[in-house]
Amino acid sequence: MELLRVEALTLAFGGLRVAREISLALASGDRLALIGPNGAGKTTFVNLVTGQLAPDAGRIVLAGEDVTRMAVAARVRRGLVRTFQISRLFRDMSVRDNVLLAILQREGRTARAIRHAATDRTLVAEADAHLERLGLGEVAGDRVGAIAYGQQRLVEIAIAVALRPKVLLLDEPAAGVSRAEQPRIVAALAALPPDIAVLMIEHDMDLVLRLARRVVVLAAGALVFDGSPEAVVSDPGVRAAYLGSYGT
Amino acid sequence: MGLALGIATDALAYGMVLYIISIGLSVTMGLMRVINLAHGAFAMIGGYLASWGLQSLGLGYGTAILFAVAGAVLIALPLERFLYRRVYGTHDPLPQVLLTIGITFAIIGIANSLFGPTLKPIPLPEIFRGPVDLGFRTVPAHRLVVIAAGAAVALGLWLLVERTDFGIRLRAAVDDARMASALGIRTDVIYAAAFALSVALGALGGVLGAEILPIEPYYALRYMVTFLVVVSVGGAGSIGGALGAALLLGLVDVTAKYLAPEYGEFFFYLAVIAVVAAFPRGLLGRA
Repeated sequence: MELLRVEALTLAFGGLRVAREISLALASGDRLALIGPNGAGKTTFVNLVTGQLAPDAGRIVLAGEDVTRMAVAARVRRGLVRTFQISRLFRDMSVRDNVLLAILQREGRTARAIRHAATDRTLVAEADAHLERLGLGEVAGDRVGAIAYGQQRLVEIAIAVALRPKVLLLDEPAAGVSRAEQPRIVAALAALPPDIAVLMIEHDMDLVLRLARRVVVLAAGALVFDGSPEAVVSDPGVRAAYLGSYGT
Repeated sequence: MGLALGIATDALAYGMVLYIISIGLSVTMGLMRVINLAHGAFAMIGGYLASWGLQSLGLGYGTAILFAVAGAVLIALPLERFLYRRVYGTHDPLPQVLLTIGITFAIIGIANSLFGPTLKPIPLPEIFRGPVDLGFRTVPAHRLVVIAAGAAVALGLWLLVERTDFGIRLRAAVDDARMASALGIRTDVIYAAAFALSVALGALGGVLGAEILPIEPYYALRYMVTFLVVVSVGGAGSIGGALGAALLLGLVDVTAKYLAPEYGEFFFYLAVIAVVAAFPRGLLGRA
């Protein structure tokens, strides 16, 4: 089932074209890696899809609904969830509260604003289950700012899963994580719900080959390759895009 | 002994008035990162509405307070929607300062033209007027009401921010608005609610404190610096910090005015300089 369709998405900052008619479709169960040289427009693309940036032209369709003009929060509530390249957790809150907040949002419990999620046993149990699954049970009560960076990245994944996305956009989920901590991130990503569609920006080809079943390459805001991870390495267009970026 | 207790009661009451008004400003400055110079004007609107409600509309004291708080919020919300929202979190504070000082002058002009330049009394109900015997001393009932109201505001705010789902969303929106919206939080709604809360507290303080800070058109400018000072001494966005700062500065100011009135505001600002030198982010400011 198709979950996300992007049609001819275009954006220019003045004369700089950062997205050139990018078209892409993601179906249930897809695991897609988005790669490309620095400045290719990968994060810009994610920002366009999630609504942080408004496109000059093009359309974004989420599970059959046109969300092109919808606010960020409205897209999230419809199942379009992202993580950030640099960890953006609520550092002064506990690990558990970060996940609780996601559950609270998913449930849309605004009508019960004058109460406290932390006293709701069902919600707390769910938050703890998400954390346990990623091996974060021990740090559930700790302040996010006090735990290791690799653990923070896992908390982001826990939050993303707690939001029950249809489409999940991961912006370099393993960036800044040490080699020793990487296997836990890989395991967490491999264990994402099988029916959701995942798009992941990633530089590490090792990780891409392990997690992605399809790769798209962006260069200078345009999509230059869409195919299997095995084929991407030998594709002349992709090589030109990378070498070209080093040549300039 | 009697003098010390008199100073203590007055200082506590003055500190609480400063607290109720300034904590509203602390919310906009610390949480929404807007230097809201018009906060004193919103407190003043509260005072004017209460005075009008009591004197011309024949409302009771409690109803007049509700009328003043609700009225100030209704006046402020369109300003939030159409003006303040454009300057939230701007890196350059100049647009915020110019916008809010402009709003302040506009409100002063409107107040002056509608109600004239004279002081507006907010007559207290009979039960708040008389003295209350605490056993060891009698104190004006109004002072006790103000002190209790300040304590209730501090407790209520703490519960709201730390113990409710609104609070957790507010803290998230303040900490990182982008991440909050990535979780599906409507930060615009949260900000409007926090702004309304800030104005409501300002208006409440304006009414309750009118005995100490009398309502007249230049109220908005006269006490602007005092409210800003409480926020910066306490640390913007800190509920406990603002309480500590308001009580400390209230104590210094009232004591100095009892014992050395010829020095005017000297000791007040000396205390401000000392605290800010020792704690550049304020008593409990966020890092």
